[in-house]
Amino acid sequence: MPFLASAYWLSLITQILIFGMLALGVELMLGHAGLFSLCHAAFFSVAAYTVAILQVRYGLPTVIAAPAGIVLGTLLGCIFGLSVRTRGVYFILVTLAMGYIIWGVGYRWASFTGGDSGVTNIPAPEVAGFSAADPMAYYYLVLVVLSLTLFAYRRLIYSPFGLVLRGIKSGEKRMLSLGFNPAAHLYIAFVISALIASLAGVLYAYFNKFVNPVSASLHISVEAVLMGIVGGTGTILGPLIGAGLVLGLRNWVSSFFTLHLAVMGLVFIAVVIWAPGGVMGIFKKWLTDAKER
Amino acid sequence: MAQVILSLSNVSKVFGGLRAVDQVSLQVTNGERRVLIGPNGAGKTSLFHCISGTHHASAGKILYLGRDITHLHEFDRTILGIGRTFQISSVLVDLTVLENIVLAILGIQKNKWQIWRHYLKIKGVESKALAQLGQVGLQGQADVLVKNLSYGERRQLELALALVNNPQLLLLDEPCAGLSPSERKNLFNLIKSLPRSITMLMIEHDMDVALGLADRVTVLHQGRVILEGDSDEVRQNPQVREIYFGQA
Repeated sequence: MPFLASAYWLSLITQILIFGMLALGVELMLGHAGLFSLCHAAFFSVAAYTVAILQVRYGLPTVIAAPAGIVLGTLLGCIFGLSVRTRGVYFILVTLAMGYIIWGVGYRWASFTGGDSGVTNIPAPEVAGFSAADPMAYYYLVLVVLSLTLFAYRRLIYSPFGLVLRGIKSGEKRMLSLGFNPAAHLYIAFVISALIASLAGVLYAYFNKFVNPVSASLHISVEAVLMGIVGGTGTILGPLIGAGLVLGLRNWVSSFFTLHLAVMGLVFIAVVIWAPGGVMGIFKKWLTDAKER
Repeated sequence: MAQVILSLSNVSKVFGGLRAVDQVSLQVTNGERRVLIGPNGAGKTSLFHCISGTHHASAGKILYLGRDITHLHEFDRTILGIGRTFQISSVLVDLTVLENIVLAILGIQKNKWQIWRHYLKIKGVESKALAQLGQVGLQGQADVLVKNLSYGERRQLELALALVNNPQLLLLDEPCAGLSPSERKNLFNLIKSLPRSITMLMIEHDMDVALGLADRVTVLHQGRVILEGDSDEVRQNPQVREIYFGQA
């Protein structure tokens, strides 16, 4: 694509793909299992910090640092997954608190995490002599990883496991009498969603070249949820479309208006009130209307 | 003597200060059609909840095929072959009819943990689902969202979900409640036509329906069993007449 020749666009689109992946992880819980998580920045940042610390401070190669980031983020998901014992508002509050723990650790444990300034100078990923130092090469790397993830995600959504999640979202009590143990399914879904968020975190570390506590902040968790909602919950492409809209709009508005966060807030309110199905919802409605005509 | 499939001894269920089920003992034999009757608040649905595991009994013991299931999870009891319908339809309204029935099939299989294959590509699932929908008369509605079904159709689906795995014990909680007379007749005929391999325990408010189907009837009142007998015994029992019609 020619417009990718511009460094600005290349960077923005790579960022959209990475945050779209994070939103995809959050969306597995929200759109398919019906649980609103506010702690996915924790997995994202733990994976990113792992990569940063192992590569920068210990000089370990990408083949160790990147998998370690994914594993540690996912392991944290195994612990935080205990939150699926709660539902509704309590789930939101528990995950909110969990997210704050990781943010607090990143911010306050300065001797290990670098505190406010974080870890800088993360090198480009390099595997078997191939380096993705060039932004274009890294863009393609992200694109490939995301495509593979989307393929697997799609399989998951249409598998019995995915159907069970939608069943739980629709009527958890009824699922019990059909022979399902919803808590076990939700726990595994949570761990998978943490895995996807960790994958995004690893990609983010190499893209951003530094990691600080902002990556663990509530802001990131909330934004990932909003991307899912704006794009359309319960869909596969929604989170990516949402990431594109949210990040695109933010970049555009912030270039001429300092209160850009307020504008973003208004956009989200408008979506929730007038288009609760998000972009994919509008698109689907337009398709069915066209069919009926 | 036929094999006892379900045996309750002194089962009680207490909600706060209310004894909804009070020391109920009963035995259902293999292939039997047992109907539970009793006025509102007699504890029929609470007793069902204890048997299916939706609630756990506060006291007493429940044996299913000789096995103590008193403390088993609801989902484990389903896997053991206990199917049930609910008085208030609780089918999964955001999913399609087919998805509902597929979930019921997967519920008792290890395949429910599959994360890679399409759920309709699991061997036997689609054909079994469509056959079951045919049996309850929903064959044309497979791809309809349940929220767009009529009330009567939801009751048919409710029954299909309970039947699809050929349960050994089927608990029916007022399957015909809220239906029009013709719908009621169709559903009743369908239930009547079920094979004897399915043992049935059914709650029914309508005395004529109840007595027309039952081999034996258990009458509950204020959480207790006050009578167990065949249709004629129940019809002629003065206490039952007193409770139902306020006359001796």
